[in-house]
Parts: sequence; structure tokens; C-alpha cells
Amino acid sequence: MASISSPIKILASPITIFAGLAIAFLSATTAKPAFAGEPPPLANFDVREIAPGNFVHYGTFDERSPDNLGDNANIGFIVGEKCVLAVDAGGSLPVGRALRQAIRRVTPLPVCHVVLTHVHPDHFFGAAAFLDDHPQFIAHENYPAQLAARSRSYLNSLQRDLGAAATGSEIVRPTLLVRQRVELDLGGRTVVVQAWPAAHTDNDLTVFDTSTRTLWLSDLLFVGHTPVIDGTITGFLAVMKDLRAIAADHFVPGHGRSDLPWPQPLEAQQRYFTVILNETRAAIRNRKTMQQATDEVGLSEAGHWAVFELFHRRNVTSAYAELEWE
Amino acid sequence: MNICLRPAWLRLASATLLALFAVIPAYANEKAEPDPAQSQYWGPIRQLMFADRVINPDARDVIRVYLNLRADDSSTVPVVVKAQIDQTEKEYIKSIYVIVERNPSPAAGVFHFTPESGRAQVETRLRFEDYSFVRAVAEMNDGRLYMSQRWVKAAGGCSAPNGKKLPESLLGKMKLRFDDDTITYHKPNLVQLMIRHPNESPFAANFVEGQVPQFVRSVKVTFDGKPVLDAEVDFSLSDNPNFRFFFTPEEKGELKIEVEDTHDRKFSHSIDISEGVPLPGG
Repeated sequence: MASISSPIKILASPITIFAGLAIAFLSATTAKPAFAGEPPPLANFDVREIAPGNFVHYGTFDERSPDNLGDNANIGFIVGEKCVLAVDAGGSLPVGRALRQAIRRVTPLPVCHVVLTHVHPDHFFGAAAFLDDHPQFIAHENYPAQLAARSRSYLNSLQRDLGAAATGSEIVRPTLLVRQRVELDLGGRTVVVQAWPAAHTDNDLTVFDTSTRTLWLSDLLFVGHTPVIDGTITGFLAVMKDLRAIAADHFVPGHGRSDLPWPQPLEAQQRYFTVILNETRAAIRNRKTMQQATDEVGLSEAGHWAVFELFHRRNVTSAYAELEWE
Repeated sequence: MNICLRPAWLRLASATLLALFAVIPAYANEKAEPDPAQSQYWGPIRQLMFADRVINPDARDVIRVYLNLRADDSSTVPVVVKAQIDQTEKEYIKSIYVIVERNPSPAAGVFHFTPESGRAQVETRLRFEDYSFVRAVAEMNDGRLYMSQRWVKAAGGCSAPNGKKLPESLLGKMKLRFDDDTITYHKPNLVQLMIRHPNESPFAANFVEGQVPQFVRSVKVTFDGKPVLDAEVDFSLSDNPNFRFFFTPEEKGELKIEVEDTHDRKFSHSIDISEGVPLPGG
């Protein structure tokens, strides 16, 4: 970085200093090394047919790494008589490609829709694997603004975590935005994509296969994995009330397994959010600071959830900032 | 030279250019804490803000930054900056500069204190665009400078979208929360100031290009006309800016807050306080 620091010492006024920086920036950009070659393929990618025509791949609970290549979220697909709808594409191009290959093992039908359930990188970075299929990329109407705002830092941290394996993982923009709901005909099978008010994020979608009554909740439901709030805790609880009313025979959470009977898996998540809500309100009432609240709130939940240490304190921070104005 | 005292357009220009500077290294957010003395970010910032003045490094006996190594939410990171020395008439901390060196606009805030402040201490919440050192530089009444810093792992806070549009009726609304049930004279009392304000970051994508971003640029707290806390701040502060600080009342009086934002809007809030009278709390 000697080329950057040397002009600064010589130039005196701030404006010329910044001019120097800008020039240094331009040269640095053009000199920026690009990764060459293909990212490695993802090994051991399996899908399970949890209901007729509904195939799920369960992601791991680990932090994103070059070993798991960002295979950290549940993704899958629904097969109609005419075409296939993918629910998310996973956390990197290799995951998206593995999903596409899994589709190909099941059916030669084209992929006509890819639903981007919300703006988190563990769900969307694999979408580029489907670009050649020219599907409709479907997202919530709030998705594009969030995507634009976050893409730079998401790309940066993907490179930090995956290194060369991040090659080809791109931001894919949606081509169809959902304000309320859309019905999609996959051929003999109608799928409803529904937009929700702010909950996990401000751009959550669910996918419902009406023929098997299979509800794909993405991150509106966590099973075993610590739930995450990147929207609003009160909104999340409100949306869960509506989700509970959906008559489903099968369900797919965004993280965790589909084993329990619906709507039983909502209980644990409801309890977790209620504990945070009540204890954070009490902390605010008792004049605890945000930092004290993150140290104290919800510790009784620690034994019940995986990766608690990664997400719990952030949830409390978010709840505190929301609830302190009540 | 004080970056925060210069005209808004210049500050924005600086901020923008610094943002360009901030993306030069391809992988800025390294996993291990780098050497603070070797930081390539700090040189230009220190040059701009303090020119060639001597800054005593690692002065943890004068000033300290407290925060968690791994931030829970990069757009809302509580940071405490705390003097380790008493404020006396003879020797006191005049200003504390809080600098997030890898933020698009690194000078997050300058907080001015007096011997009457009791303690030169402030807690606020910051946005972190990238893994960064957060530095606190204390300027003594005789002009000496002392610095210490903490490394924090948090990223994406400045480019995270600005919050929902606040209804005009809520903008600038303030809330004070005291740490105790009532005020105690002659000792530092802890008070929290909350300001309803989007504190827009111009680096958020939902920010409309060409507009002057709305963020709080100054906060003045007085007690019966005497300064308690005087702060020049920036969009490195989280939305709904939040401050915790001390003030030492000698008798009953009016605690007054005056806030100004980049759209030249002025907001104010005040309460009368006296010993024994219950205060608004939690």
C-alpha cells in the first residue's frame, strides 16, 4: 500500500489529499486481482421428497466456510407436470449448481421459477446457477431495495469466508415482485407465493403447494437452529399467529428438520420470542442498558437452540432497539 | 483541523472519497486483529483531523473504548468511551473524538466536555461498515492528545438500509431516561437521551442520490444554561441516536436538549428536575 500512503505525506490540504486517495482508488481497482477458474463442486448434496413432488435439501447449522461452501440453509424444489419451481438456491454458486443437478436427477422439465424467499445470503447466492434456465426470479416487493443496500457488504463477506470458492456467486435481481400473493401453475399443481409484513426480514415470502398442502416457510420458521430477527420481533410474533392458521400437511423450515407435525414446531420459536420480548421489556423498565440486556436476556433458552452464541445477542439488540420506544 | 466543523458539503465530499478509499483492499475484513499502529486507514484520517500534532498512542490510562469484539448487530453497536482521569479545573479532557477508521465517514462524533461534566464519558450506538478499529482521541485542555482503540468485528452497518420513514410528527421527538429514581445534587447523575431520527446514511442504497442525507449533526445538552454535553455527530451513529452521559447538578434547574440536523431542522426538549422529585425512568 506504499503507493497510497506516500502522496498523503507530501500533500497538505485535505482536498488534495482526497484527490490523491481517489486516484489511488482508481488504480487499485484496475489492479484488483480477479479469481480465475471454477469454484469446487459441493460433495454429498442430497434431497429428500417430504411430500409428493416436494424435494428438500437440509443445510447445515455450521458457519459458512470453504468446507460447507455456504450450504447452510434449507432449499428445495417443487415439480409440476409442466415445470419446476425452486425455493431458494443456497449460499453460493456451488450450492445452487448442486440443487440444479438434483433437479436434473429427478426430472428433465425446465425450471420456470426461482423463489428468493428473503434477502439473506445463505438463501440467495446460489441463484446464478439458474440464469441459463431463464426462470422468473420471484421476490417480495421490498427485496430489491434491501438487496441493493446490502449486496456490497454481502459480496465482501462471502469472499472473506469462502475465498476462491466464492467465484461466480452473484447478485441475481428478481424479475417478478410480489406485493400480496401470486398463484403459479406448474402444470397440475398450483403453488401460492405469499408476501408477509415485516417479520424475520421486511421481505419474507412463503411458498405453498396446494396439491400436497406443503408449506415452505423459509426463515419464518427455525427448528432447532436459533431463530433470527432481522425485521421486528413484534411483527414476527404477529405473522406467526397467521402462519399457525394455515392448514398444512407438510412443512419446510428455513433451518432445521421437517419432522414434527404442523403447527407444533411453531411452539418452540414462539416461546423463544416471547421470552426475549418479556425479558427485554423488563430490562428496559429496570433501566438496563442495551449491552446489559444482551448479556442477560433469554439465557434460559441457551440449551434449547443450536448456534445460540452466533445469533441470540443480536436478536436481543434488535428487540431492545425496537422496544425501547414503546 | 476538525473535520466536523467544516461545511456540510465538504464533509460529504470527504466522506465519499473516504468511502472510495475504504474499499481499496480487496479483503478488508481480516479475521485476526491487525496491528493498530500499522493501519493503512489511520494515517490519512489522523493527518486530516490532527495534522502533525503528536498523539500519545495506547493511552489506556487516560481514555478507553469499551465494546464487544464481535458486534451483535453492525448497525447498532453500543460503544462506551470513558476517561480514566478526573475532570479538574486545572486538567481536564476538553474533547473526545470517536473515530471508526474504516467507516465511509470515519469521524463518528466529537464530544466536548467541561470541568463541570463530572466525568468525560459517553455511550452511544454506532454503525460499522467493516471490521475496524474504533479509536478514541482525548484532547486535553492544554491541547495534548491521547488515544486508545478497540478492534471490532462488524460489517455492513453503514450500507444497511435506512429505517422506515418516520412520520413527521415523530421526527425529533426525544425521551430522557434517568438511571436513578431521583436526581442527586453534587454528584454525577447518569442520563440517557434518545432522539427519534432516521440518521440516514448516504451509503444506504435506499438513500436517494443527490439529496442531502438527513442526520443529526449537533446535540447540545445544558443544565440551567450551562453546558453539559456538546456533540458534533455523524451518520456513523445508528438511527434513533442514543447517548448516555453524566451531569452534575448543584441545585434544581432545567435540563435542556437542543438538536440540529443536516436539513437545518431544530428540535428541543427540556425537563425541570429537582432533588426528591421522581424522574422519568424505564
